[in-house]
Amino acid sequence: MPLDYFKVECPEPVGGELYSHLASVVLSEYGMSGVIARLHLYIDPTIPIFVAVGMTRTMPGMILIRDFSDVVVHENGEVMVNIGDEKYLAPLLKHLWDRFGKDRVEQPDRFTIVMHLSPEEQKGFSELPVVDPADGLYKDLIYVLQIICPEGFRVRTQRFMPGESGRFYFVASENTLPRDIMPIVNEKFELLGDGI
Amino acid sequence: MTLVSVTCKCGVYRHDEFLDLIDDLGGYVIQKQVIAQEVVLQALVPREDIAQLRVLSRVIAGEIQYSPLVGTEIAVVTMSLDIHHLPHASCDIGEYLRKSGAKTNMIGLARGFGKRIGLLSSEERDIVNEHDLVIFLFGNFETCIKYKIETFRRGISVPIVLCGGPKTEVLRDLFTPPVDGYLGDVGRFMHRTKEKDEIAKLDELIAEVSRVLDERRIRLSRDPLSLSPARLMDVILDEVPAIHHVLSPIPVVVQMDGVRIKLPYEEYADEIGAVVIENEIMIRDVVRLTPSKMQDYILAKILPMSETGIMI
Repeated sequence: MPLDYFKVECPEPVGGELYSHLASVVLSEYGMSGVIARLHLYIDPTIPIFVAVGMTRTMPGMILIRDFSDVVVHENGEVMVNIGDEKYLAPLLKHLWDRFGKDRVEQPDRFTIVMHLSPEEQKGFSELPVVDPADGLYKDLIYVLQIICPEGFRVRTQRFMPGESGRFYFVASENTLPRDIMPIVNEKFELLGDGI
Repeated sequence: MTLVSVTCKCGVYRHDEFLDLIDDLGGYVIQKQVIAQEVVLQALVPREDIAQLRVLSRVIAGEIQYSPLVGTEIAVVTMSLDIHHLPHASCDIGEYLRKSGAKTNMIGLARGFGKRIGLLSSEERDIVNEHDLVIFLFGNFETCIKYKIETFRRGISVPIVLCGGPKTEVLRDLFTPPVDGYLGDVGRFMHRTKEKDEIAKLDELIAEVSRVLDERRIRLSRDPLSLSPARLMDVILDEVPAIHHVLSPIPVVVQMDGVRIKLPYEEYADEIGAVVIENEIMIRDVVRLTPSKMQDYILAKILPMSETGIMI
């Protein structure tokens, strides 16, 4: 998926063009094109500084048990969970073990979980959240920006603001960063636009 | 007798005829690789006898091609071994040089990255100087390359070929005194080189490296070596039994002015030095044996005729 906005700003035109290609390859290879909506990179090797500002796409909400499985409640209190998507099996098991204890969670086969729950526990069982798709997003985002960033730029600061349209910034240099980096970050955010 | 570097490819069946013919013609097999049913021979053969090899290659359905880099050991220096620089472009360049016959060693610097902080340690410098040529793989920005090159070229005594993102002309005008070779448009990238223009760029690199090595050959020919490196390799393979127990695919690496012997220096230097080449001339008479900075290998540099007064 192409980004809605992607630009590399660099005082060296050739270097900037090569960097633009490099960043596109990295974003695509790490599957971040579908996560980042807008990205502006600023690289000035004379200072030297690397600034990345961007916005993430709207992430889907929490994945609930009912989203990927059928929950059947029997009269004797037995709850049978038939799992439809295997990729959520491991987080679901971990969640159930943490909540109800391992001894109460039976797994007769790979895609079936059987539990005996009290009527109170049965209430809202299928609405239990299992996976937050935004989990790890920040870590992945920073990892990808570290790869795009020149390797020697190891003095860095970054911030992810999920509440503010998923805005994030990443500033790196091989020298000490200025005490207040926000003016340059805000300047680049203005170039980025709000995506509306 | 001028030796020409070639690569001979053929099937396993009757490939020994190639080996015999190269030996009969006075040539040397630098490396033999058996890959499934195919045999790849990298060899040095007399220029005037290439036709005979071509005749044999037709008979046994083989193939002969000119490989300008056979008999050279090239250092490919990458600024670090991190994902930023590996596997592309370092491995792609290393692999392409090997296809042209060179023995390449990739040297990942401990602290080569960055503009101001990039540096080359004395140990890394000594290892680079053991090669015939060094290729420095820089990044995409000319500001950084211009800033870093003085640090990196200091103390390097072998020809330097510089690769970087800016155009070749830009790199050429970037600093004085110039280095020996340049190749632009090959900076930091993170995809495999497989497009037509990328392969053409690698071909350009081979041409540039060959040109720089040819210049070095001309300089060496002004004061010729006392012994051909290929012959030194042959003598060591014949006279030092321990070399056949080395598991490395190339136990004796041929360079332009010597060989790297993959045996421990402390244990074998004296034995190798005492090997007689011919007419009571021993290896130590025409070769300087020193411990290599690379593991505990032996580095054998052949002395020029002006120093020894001997030409074998």
